[in-house]
Amino acid sequence: MQRVVSRLDALVLFVTIVAIPVALWGAFLHAPTEQTMGAVQRIFYFHVPSAIMAYVAVVVLLGSSIVYLSRRDLAWDDLSKAATEVCLLFCTLVLITGPIWAKPAWGTWWTWEARLTSTLVLEILLIAALMVRRYAGNRDLGARLAAIIGITIAADVYVVHKAVDWWRGMHPEVFKAGNRGSLDERMTSVLFICMGAMFLLCITLIRLRYRTARIETRTEALRLERLD
Amino acid sequence: MKTVGFWRAAWLVARKDLQLEWRTFDALAASVVFAVVVLLVFQFAVGGGPARQLSADALVPGVLWLAISFSSVVGIARSMDVERRGDTLAGLFRAPIDRGAIYAGKLIANAVRIALLEVILVPLAIVFFNASLGGAWLELIFVLALCSFGLCALGTLFGAIVSRVGRGEALLSTLLLPASTPLLLAGVTATGALFRGDGLASVSRWLGMAAGFGLLYFFVALATFEYVLEE
Repeated sequence: MQRVVSRLDALVLFVTIVAIPVALWGAFLHAPTEQTMGAVQRIFYFHVPSAIMAYVAVVVLLGSSIVYLSRRDLAWDDLSKAATEVCLLFCTLVLITGPIWAKPAWGTWWTWEARLTSTLVLEILLIAALMVRRYAGNRDLGARLAAIIGITIAADVYVVHKAVDWWRGMHPEVFKAGNRGSLDERMTSVLFICMGAMFLLCITLIRLRYRTARIETRTEALRLERLD
Repeated sequence: MKTVGFWRAAWLVARKDLQLEWRTFDALAASVVFAVVVLLVFQFAVGGGPARQLSADALVPGVLWLAISFSSVVGIARSMDVERRGDTLAGLFRAPIDRGAIYAGKLIANAVRIALLEVILVPLAIVFFNASLGGAWLELIFVLALCSFGLCALGTLFGAIVSRVGRGEALLSTLLLPASTPLLLAGVTATGALFRGDGLASVSRWLGMAAGFGLLYFFVALATFEYVLEE
């Protein structure tokens, strides 16, 4: 009998549970208040890591989709399903935290700028991928179609970003070369702590969702076996 | 025969619909996502950017590309619906031909359909909005062909996917329209330049992007189309 949560998973989960309060402490207490934007800037310690984790999940989605199509092992489809859902979660976080910050900082909730637009497109396409998966009558068909959409999503988000960037650009460049010195040292360290905590959260969620998807797949296989 | 009253019956039907909706969330989720897609497409077609003034020349490119995007969704969904009803895609899949050829064939048919649509649509838009093209007809045809190719390259792939899961235009627009935002931007920008009297040289990188977009998805679709058709 295989364990539902392996030792490694339990360890990662434990570290994540410790890391999240540390990140909260860093973002709300340790980091200094930003001079021009004030307290609202603190949301950036969650916004930026969430955005990067959404990209991490997209990379997992792309990889697992390609491997699934070539090997046809449903385990890879379970991974790609997990990556899609976790990516949607982080994408939603980005789309919620972004406007909260943008209203006081830019004076507007939303602007049709490259990163905002590509994030919104990513969100819509992820929802569409989940819909296709759900509407497909059988598991294999849903897995194949979702894998194709997964591959196009990864390519598309990059192209959308480039295109809107040409059209107009306005997003603050945090890590632009030469801009590095402008960020307070404590702010940088807190950002990296939050990045680490979010990364742990991201892989924990993908791992756990992958595990439950594996169990769902096996249960479904057993059910079909019984029916035959 | 005793029957329930009008309002009682109406209430029962409404309750049944809402219960179904509550359990599945299908129609609501699909229509909310579609509404966001419409906002997105309209923004890039007519809101903000270089097309801020609402003169005819600034408005026509946006309206034109909105019409092309939405009608291509309808056209592609219809053509796939025909295949679905007769289950003819399965027949094509069993035929001893390259699966890429099936994709290419459907792409050509969709492209011809959109081209015919544009032949009617473009003069109408120019007449209705009283815009002037200043003789740049060949350039306009080139821009339309380039961007429509990209739209069909991706649309044919997504159309086949949507037809396999048995959903119509709403799901196809949810997939195709956000994904083809770059084409919409390229089309609106390049067409706008022509209506303003600027040459194509001023928008060359947009044309390059539209071509790249079309080729990228053409090859992605060639490589993956067989997985869509597979039983």
